[in-house]
Amino acid sequence: MNEPIVLGFETSCDETGVGIVRGHTLLADALATSMAEHERFGGVVPEIASRAHLEAMVPTVHRALADAGIAASDVDAVAVTSGPGLTGALLVGVAAAKAYALALGKPLYGVNHLAAHVAVDELQHGPLAEPSIAMLVSGGHSSLLLVPDLAQEVQSLGRTIDDAAGEAFDKVARVLGLPFPGGPPVDRAAREGDARAIAFPRGLTGPRDAAYDFSFSGLKTAVARWVEARERAGEPVPVADVAASFQEAVADVLTAKAVRACRDHGVDHLVLGGGVAANSRLRALAEERCAAAGIVLRVPSPRLCTDNGAMVAALGSRLVAAGVAPSAPDLGADSSLPIDVVSR
Amino acid sequence: MKREHLLPTLADTHALGRELAAAARPGDLLVLVGPLGAGKTALTQGIGAGLGVREPVTSPTFVIARVHRGGRIPLVHVDAYRLGGAADVDDLDLDASTEESVTVVEWGQGLVEQLAEEHLEVRLDRRDDDVRTALLVPHGPGWTARLDVG
Repeated sequence: MNEPIVLGFETSCDETGVGIVRGHTLLADALATSMAEHERFGGVVPEIASRAHLEAMVPTVHRALADAGIAASDVDAVAVTSGPGLTGALLVGVAAAKAYALALGKPLYGVNHLAAHVAVDELQHGPLAEPSIAMLVSGGHSSLLLVPDLAQEVQSLGRTIDDAAGEAFDKVARVLGLPFPGGPPVDRAAREGDARAIAFPRGLTGPRDAAYDFSFSGLKTAVARWVEARERAGEPVPVADVAASFQEAVADVLTAKAVRACRDHGVDHLVLGGGVAANSRLRALAEERCAAAGIVLRVPSPRLCTDNGAMVAALGSRLVAAGVAPSAPDLGADSSLPIDVVSR
Repeated sequence: MKREHLLPTLADTHALGRELAAAARPGDLLVLVGPLGAGKTALTQGIGAGLGVREPVTSPTFVIARVHRGGRIPLVHVDAYRLGGAADVDDLDLDASTEESVTVVEWGQGLVEQLAEEHLEVRLDRRDDDVRTALLVPHGPGWTARLDVG
């Protein structure tokens, strides 16, 4: 029996992603990014992102169909990120998905961007063990989730109370004179540095702090202060050591809290997702700590960790398989869609 | 309201935010100025708490702007850190109008003052002993009068 083919649209931020899956098999993952246009601003500018989505949408769909070697009429269902994200950017994807669903006469599923980050791992490692703990870390999100049933039930355990993890990388990169986005250059610089050179603070790790919430604002400030003090003293800033020590603090807190969430909930599967999950130290430390705790760690390849259309198609595929009702034709974008709403 | 504030703890920064929220009116523009880690997002968290907005206020750096509803007045929280030129709030795709909201802009000095006829500048700084300081600088008669009354 042939599994259904799902076409997925992702436009919540700066990537125009169109993915196609058949069941858990990835058929196409076409991506257009407007990052180069945002670089001169040092970050994503919403209006620029929306226009770029509009221009990239149709060519990206055509590329995905060609890569998958299928015709649009072969598609069985359409899925789209309806939130959370930038309102104007989300609207482009939602409008495109509705148009394709209507034109093809196929069901439409409006899905949660964060749940899609979890679903994408099924394309690489097969069906998710349920329940799993999922940790999503990116420029816009830092969340710990309990996932009893990815198609219908996702619970938020904790989130950042100030800066997202990826944002801390961007800001520290700026302090160190490294380019935006800050994740890859900090990761590279850190490879030459000593992670134990500077003891940067681990936010919200005290006994009375919220066990699963994150705080990266104090860490960012500590790095800025440390660098400023060096500069005031007229001493050179050891960029590699600062990068390595900062990255260690982030990876330490993230992995400690994720492992704790697994233990506290009696869950032995952890999934990482989001752009920061591409960080080499986070991956290595997560592997080390999960192995020690008897937890099975699943991390998608870096390419699938960042935003893409395949993750949306993957979640759409799950919803179809679970028999979840499709979205209403008046589906809209919700920039602050709560994490516990998997589809709507 | 005092113009100069010493803010030894995070709670003090939050309290000043709540005080500003109590004085806030729809259409207000607050421009927060100060280096990384001076307490700009913390002050905005206090303003959000004072207005009674629903969601927790977190840094909007990545998305540039976030709208918080459910309070006495909607709060538009903008981070202009990465905007190079003069920003027009229309470019931010906000689903809220600035006339009906309190708009708080971090890193907005020299970029967003034209958004409202007058604004309150809040100069935040971080001393070497980690105490934060705040200086309220009214631009326009309305804010001057409000600060002198309270």
